[in-house]
Amino acid sequence: MLTLSSLSPRELRKRLARGGVRLQTGAFVACVTSPIGHVADGLALLYGDYPLRGDDDFADFYLNLAPVGGLRRWLRPQVQFDHDGLRPFQPLPLTQAFSMFEWALNWCVSGRAHRYLIIHAAVVEKNGRAAILPAPPGSGKSTLCAALVSRGWRLLSDELTLIRLDDGLVLPSPRPISLKNGSIDLIRQYAPGTVFSRPVADTAKGTIAHMRAPADSVRRAGETARPAWIVFPQYVAGAAPTLTPVPRTRAFLRVAENAFNYSLLGADGFRAVGALVDTANTFDFSYSALDDAIAVFAQLADGAP
Amino acid sequence: MWRLTPGQALLRYGWDGEYVLYNDLSGDTHLLTATACTLLDHLRAAPVSHGALAQACGIGADTAESLLIDLEQLSLVEYLPC
Repeated sequence: MLTLSSLSPRELRKRLARGGVRLQTGAFVACVTSPIGHVADGLALLYGDYPLRGDDDFADFYLNLAPVGGLRRWLRPQVQFDHDGLRPFQPLPLTQAFSMFEWALNWCVSGRAHRYLIIHAAVVEKNGRAAILPAPPGSGKSTLCAALVSRGWRLLSDELTLIRLDDGLVLPSPRPISLKNGSIDLIRQYAPGTVFSRPVADTAKGTIAHMRAPADSVRRAGETARPAWIVFPQYVAGAAPTLTPVPRTRAFLRVAENAFNYSLLGADGFRAVGALVDTANTFDFSYSALDDAIAVFAQLADGAP
Repeated sequence: MWRLTPGQALLRYGWDGEYVLYNDLSGDTHLLTATACTLLDHLRAAPVSHGALAQACGIGADTAESLLIDLEQLSLVEYLPC
């Protein structure tokens, strides 16, 4: 199977600018077009292991990231996301073009893939069992996810947990992990050798960098996992690691709040969350030190509590 | 007499004495006590008076009436004038 890395940088730029490349990420194929170097560089750096589909293959999403025209071409150049003729986002500075690609692809999946329950959550796997980490921004979800992935957990997703409606299994959608501000250097030090995109400052979320998904996680993107734990993480400076059981009814409501399409799915969404919460053990987890957090997750994977 | 609002299937999950219930009419999810769910179950077959419901659920008549009014506000039950 061809991967994106089979294209030379020159060929990648050429194809992105003319006709696009069809990139498979988990269950989805995105047709990406863009003449912007930041997009090509980001894809080459972080998506080299991902399958490349043929020009005639079906694509789930069409993403076009183009420079804004007019004076903007010369004065504070900007990038605009175009999706099937729609422009759902405000333009961003051109240096944020790759981040915009990531956000745009998340937007496509969360807004369209309604054959799954889509939870705003990171999800990692060990021994076939998945730990789902739903949390609002600022809770340390992605930092914890990156740390777990650097210590042997398989990345299923950093941002969008996809639950199949028919059997309740987690469908992987491994993509680069989005890290912000202090977490970037924290994970650089915690996981030396990990590949990061160039940090981009002054985004709406502060400074952003993306960490490359492990090649093994990308290669195993077709392997589903059984939900075993739902852990609501919260970074608390100086806190000892504390795992507190959450009553399932309360966990249900919190998962539903974090699901993009819970209401849209109606009774199917209710059944999906109910089956998920019925299957998994549910916890609040506060932590400060990553090593402590890793140890707690290792205990979970080993069968305790 | 009280009855279950037509269209409500009472789809629910329960753990440790609490329940989440799907409202087929509004699409909302409600967090309910075991007593509320028992009361709803007694309305499945046919309309029942609040006194009979209180007796069936083992609660006081005032408590049953208050609970029924709460459930009515959620469109889970309806009052039928005699």
